[in-house]
Amino acid sequence: MSTATTSMSPRLGRLAARVLTFLVLGIAALAITAPFLWIFRGALSGSDAELYRLPPTFDAGTLTVRNFGRVTEQVPYFRFFLNSIIVSTVVTAAQLITCSTAAYAFARLRFRGKGVLFALVIGSLMIPIQVTIVPLFLVMSKLGLTNTLWALILPGIFSAFGIFLLRQHFLGLPRGLEEAAKIDGAGQFRTFARIILPLSGPSIATLGILCFTYWWNDLLLPLVMISDTDRQTLPVGLVLLAGRFSTGSLGTIAAGITMAIVPVLVVFLAAQRYIVQSIASSGLKL
Amino acid sequence: MTTSSTLRPGVGDRSVTDPGPPAPRPRGDGAAALAFLTPSIITFLVFVLAPTVGVLVLSFYNWNLLSDGTFVGLDNFDRLIHDGRLLGVYGSTTYMALAILAVNVVLGLLLAVLLETRMPRWLRGFFRLSYLFPFVVSASAVALIWRFLLNKDLGLVNYLLGLVHVDRIDWLGSSAFAPVSVIIVNSWKTIGFSILVYIAGLQSIPDQLREAAIVDGAGAWTRFWRITFPLLSPTIFFLVVINTINSFQIFAEPRVLTQGGPGDSSRTIVEYLYDRAFGDFDLGYASAIGITFALILVVLTAIQFWFSRRWTFY
Repeated sequence: MSTATTSMSPRLGRLAARVLTFLVLGIAALAITAPFLWIFRGALSGSDAELYRLPPTFDAGTLTVRNFGRVTEQVPYFRFFLNSIIVSTVVTAAQLITCSTAAYAFARLRFRGKGVLFALVIGSLMIPIQVTIVPLFLVMSKLGLTNTLWALILPGIFSAFGIFLLRQHFLGLPRGLEEAAKIDGAGQFRTFARIILPLSGPSIATLGILCFTYWWNDLLLPLVMISDTDRQTLPVGLVLLAGRFSTGSLGTIAAGITMAIVPVLVVFLAAQRYIVQSIASSGLKL
Repeated sequence: MTTSSTLRPGVGDRSVTDPGPPAPRPRGDGAAALAFLTPSIITFLVFVLAPTVGVLVLSFYNWNLLSDGTFVGLDNFDRLIHDGRLLGVYGSTTYMALAILAVNVVLGLLLAVLLETRMPRWLRGFFRLSYLFPFVVSASAVALIWRFLLNKDLGLVNYLLGLVHVDRIDWLGSSAFAPVSVIIVNSWKTIGFSILVYIAGLQSIPDQLREAAIVDGAGAWTRFWRITFPLLSPTIFFLVVINTINSFQIFAEPRVLTQGGPGDSSRTIVEYLYDRAFGDFDLGYASAIGITFALILVVLTAIQFWFSRRWTFY
């Protein structure tokens, strides 16, 4: 930047660089927020013609909330929402328990076979669920769990990524406090629960947020495992809703999307500081 | 539920058997380790290891959902070689994955560096939050929104392009632009993640280094390439790994936007596997495809670690 502007006065050059910077940042922000605003506005439109009027207009007189009612008439929307909440919450809670305990064992305990087990964990990082989805479906089917929420919960509980992330963090904690606790007679479990966990809030929040986001958004597993509409999660539910209308009632689809996004937006804004810090630090922690 | 019951015995033993004075430290923590690892071991065995072995076994069978299948030796692998579509699907998967990777790594870095400019805190916060928000929205909602926006005749994108006299583009219905649509939509969703990781990387670079360079008279351009970029290499490497792995596994975007079409132009390997398994119920063949995919992921990971040794400065 500076080389290109040397011929101008340096002050003018700096001003130009600043204007350009904000132009790029602003366009990027607009490109990301405008589609959401457009879909929210579409959810309030009375007709498809209005939804697709270009350039988009905002005429308060023609706005309607009827589309939201139509969503719940067409699909069991609140059921989808509840199912998504159950799956994401249970997977996240279970994953935090299994990952933190396993990570503690790998970071602090001495036992036979540790190297082999850890190598298995790291190796399984390379085998994503997309590869094993077929036998996973057969396992669930043999267990009689297909078409239940268990089929969406159980495969998510073990997380090699989560164990690795927390192990890295635990390894970085000072050992002094633990030694002191041991001298006071604390067992491994008490050391873990009273010393390690309280020092690991941010790392655990990172894993929790990444895990919840992933399972909240997943489309593949529910599509494979669930056949009853009533047991579907929100991502599939939206596709089902969109599939009901090939033409016409686009406002209803927009309303369905809006109903799926607004709660996420509220949580996102409420927990923004945590979410931003957690995601930002996921790179630093590995 | 199972976790607490498996954890307790080990804990109980300890607190009962060594009260007051500190006992000499035991040589191993086998019992405790078992208790701590049991939940992970069980879920790993049933939902990771068994299905992984299952993929290998299934790939030697002709298996549909109705019967338990017959052993067919290497037939499925023979079919892989003669499957004309498979190579095309891998081609489009690779094309889209590399483009998404490039957008995330390059555009993400640009935006993250620009965000370092002096500006009011609320404005920086607004930029960050708006870039990140699509990351927490489900891919199917994102793809449905873009299905509206990219509509050939009525979509906002073609309208805006029309303002600058670009002819209408058939974003979702032409084999040239369908993969571009998937690239745009997935990058749009994920770039906020990359930007945030970059910001954290940039903040971990000590200010003194850049200040020293300013004192030495280095311009912004030199400072970026001589100081920021090399010190950012671990971050770049992390993002390359994460984005490669994620973008090769794309499923929702093409599924919702284009159904993989037209032809196989925007089909990803996961979508192809899904169709063979749960569209044709050809579970054996789908497993053989899964093995090729796993091998590719292993090779990619190996290549990345080899590269990381060459050009990151830890």
